[in-house]
Amino acid sequence: MEIPAEEDRLVSANGVRLSGRQWAGMGLFVLALYLLAPRLWSRLERLELGTDYRIPYDLSQDYWHFDRMARAAAARYDTLVVGDSVVWGQYVRRDHTLSHYLNVQAGAERFANLGLDGAHPLALTGLLEHYGGGIAGKNVLLHCNPMWLQSPEADLRAWREGIRINHPALLPQHSSEIGAYREECSQRLGTFVEQRVPFHAWTRHLQVAYYNQMSVPAWTLERPYENPFGPITLKLPPPDEGLRHEAVSWTARGIRKQDFAWVDPAASLQWRAFRRVVEILEGRGNRVFVLVGPFNEHLLTEKGREGYLRVKGGIEAWLRERKVPHVVPEVLPSEHYADASHPLSDGYALLARRIFESEAWKVARRE
Amino acid sequence: MRHGIGHRTSDIRHRASEMLFHTWDFLVFFLIVFPVYFFLRRYNGPMNLWLLAASYVFYGWWNPYYLILIAATTTLDWWIGLRMGREGARRKFWLVLTVLSNVGCLAFFKYAGFVTNNLNALLGTSFANPAKDLMTGLGMAYLLPVGISFFTFQSMSYTIDVYRGKIPVERSLLRFATFVSLFPQLVAGPIERASNLLPQLHKAPRITRRHLTDGGSQFLVGLFKKVALADYLALYVDKVYADPGSFQSGALVLATVAFAWQIYFDFSGYTDMARGIGHAMGFRFMQNFDNPYVATGLGDFWSRWHISLSTWFKDYLYFPLGGNRNGKLATYRNMLVTMIVSGVWHGAAWTFVIWGALHAAGRVLTRELEGTSVWRDRVPRLAKQVLVFAFVCFAWIFFRARTLDDAWTVATRMFTTGWGDPQFPLLMAVIVGAVWGYQLLYTSGVRMKALLETAPVRVGLAAAMIVYLSVFAQPSLKAFIYFDF
Repeated sequence: MEIPAEEDRLVSANGVRLSGRQWAGMGLFVLALYLLAPRLWSRLERLELGTDYRIPYDLSQDYWHFDRMARAAAARYDTLVVGDSVVWGQYVRRDHTLSHYLNVQAGAERFANLGLDGAHPLALTGLLEHYGGGIAGKNVLLHCNPMWLQSPEADLRAWREGIRINHPALLPQHSSEIGAYREECSQRLGTFVEQRVPFHAWTRHLQVAYYNQMSVPAWTLERPYENPFGPITLKLPPPDEGLRHEAVSWTARGIRKQDFAWVDPAASLQWRAFRRVVEILEGRGNRVFVLVGPFNEHLLTEKGREGYLRVKGGIEAWLRERKVPHVVPEVLPSEHYADASHPLSDGYALLARRIFESEAWKVARRE
Repeated sequence: MRHGIGHRTSDIRHRASEMLFHTWDFLVFFLIVFPVYFFLRRYNGPMNLWLLAASYVFYGWWNPYYLILIAATTTLDWWIGLRMGREGARRKFWLVLTVLSNVGCLAFFKYAGFVTNNLNALLGTSFANPAKDLMTGLGMAYLLPVGISFFTFQSMSYTIDVYRGKIPVERSLLRFATFVSLFPQLVAGPIERASNLLPQLHKAPRITRRHLTDGGSQFLVGLFKKVALADYLALYVDKVYADPGSFQSGALVLATVAFAWQIYFDFSGYTDMARGIGHAMGFRFMQNFDNPYVATGLGDFWSRWHISLSTWFKDYLYFPLGGNRNGKLATYRNMLVTMIVSGVWHGAAWTFVIWGALHAAGRVLTRELEGTSVWRDRVPRLAKQVLVFAFVCFAWIFFRARTLDDAWTVATRMFTTGWGDPQFPLLMAVIVGAVWGYQLLYTSGVRMKALLETAPVRVGLAAAMIVYLSVFAQPSLKAFIYFDF
């Protein structure tokens, strides 16, 4: 190592100094780490998509796992059902979800559940854009939940104290229109990078899958005497077997009739994001079939229902105009709903039958 | 929130949006600033203009209104410097004015709440905090200007040195403003002397590959100290110090030791990053830390801890008070005054006064001990190091505790309750132990130092730090502790 001139020397209290060549080597090491570690990990960590697999609820923020699961599902099934918790099955066991009953209707395992809890259209855009490349070219049954247009807050245009946003790490970080998303510039830049660098999504996967959604330092604070490498068992949490919530109807739950402040689709961020989702999928060669609702109209007041019909009409009009195959099933019986948008098991069974019986689905199948 | 004697001025707060070195903001900022600076560095005026603009963006990122404050104090000190150069007979008047303006600025923003709270508690009055009134009157949140203690001291050292005839008057306002606000060391030091930094701004900085690689290495070490170590330790320290009454001796002792390391890693980590950035830009900033927890006496500790501040106080307070020239008693009095002022510099609370007084007492004690042959020749070096570390840790209680009551609770429960189960993470103990071991080995002799400087050790340590930061460290946007000062 050459001896630096006096004014070039950095006096320090430690000996960690790298030369230019060593820094170059370190750069290659970091590059290899970033490129290879996630790939190597996916070989070591077994992912088995059993019948009616759905992403474990605790891994809802684990987009690296979603990416991996989506690729595995795309290799095994011909149609992927994409959407929010309505697809995931918030009030039912995994063998009573929409994809399960679609498989029953098809008489074979053809549909995979790619639902993600809380994935509103703005988040779904980020999810598919950054972590959904593996499903390119597949059939996609895309669920459109009008619930996300039920108020300016749900539409994420408006901010209010205490507002909680699902999946902020999936939002576009440079948009100033999402008024509900208020984050420091540095945090936005970090998320922007994480969305594009799989290594960062992989480190988040380690935290979510093995360390109770905590960083390793925070985890050791709760388990001070345990081996911090102990949780790395290479075994993923199993898919949820039980129920997230009690499977009772919305009336038994005591929900009253609602008068939502529906957002006009022409001005809605969420609806614009949904259209973008369709564009992304079509751009990747996916054959997209959209399922609109069915929203629980029984829960709406007369005024709320008028607003909903306007929203539904706007959605249908765009889908017709764009010639996107779609179905807008009639509302399910009241007792089949657990809340405003989630069906119960019988509701999913009926919905799957109606989808299969719809002319649009038959045409789409033939094509 | 409680106010009054013994409580910190809790209405002073920061927004957590400073441009911290370990954030993406700063990376983008630096990637823009550095290339332009690199090409401008041969043109002195444009270089200083670019650095000043960058530094003001860096500072204004936190709160643009306070740019007025830094610009005003800078302009005043520059102008006073000019007047001192022209009016030989009235130099003392200008000296008094610069000290009053800088200390007054600090007093107004940092100590007004403390003073009014104490007056109100003593006299039963209800004076309002004038700084808070002013800021809220202007429709702004009352925020302690980040780094005010650093840049006022840096600026003031210039005028004092001009008064003493140690340095020439700086005629360029642009260059002087760049000196005061240079972004790598603006908000938490090192507190540079004009005699060191101003001449560097007069010429084209030399930037070699060595500057870049050494600067990068220093930055990596600082980043690791901050993100992997300081912020990790903070998890345990914050938990215990948030409610010290509910913890037993073991947790209180370990949290206090953990805080000693947290503040060291936090502050020296910041300094390492600042110096690393400065070095990559061709600037030489002074060393601020030199493994302080291997010190064998309190005097030794202060020659290793926050060196730029301790030498500032030595040069501009301790020596003017008489230093050690007027006998033992006067020396100790001067030490006491210097250390208490140093304590108050850190924060407006009685806890900081006590912290300073404890260190003054410690310095007197170890100075006396160092005069004895038993201490000098019989007590092993390691024992001295452990004793000094224990004392420093005890003093940190007053530095860290939110209130005097809390400090008292920690200090008493530490000795009056059972050890209990401290729930101190083993990983934390292993990491701190490894770093302490490294420091002890690095300072133990030439052979060991040479071994730690071999290529495999250097590269291995750097790789380990990068892997830990990339995979395990928690995402952190925690501000630096010394930003509060």
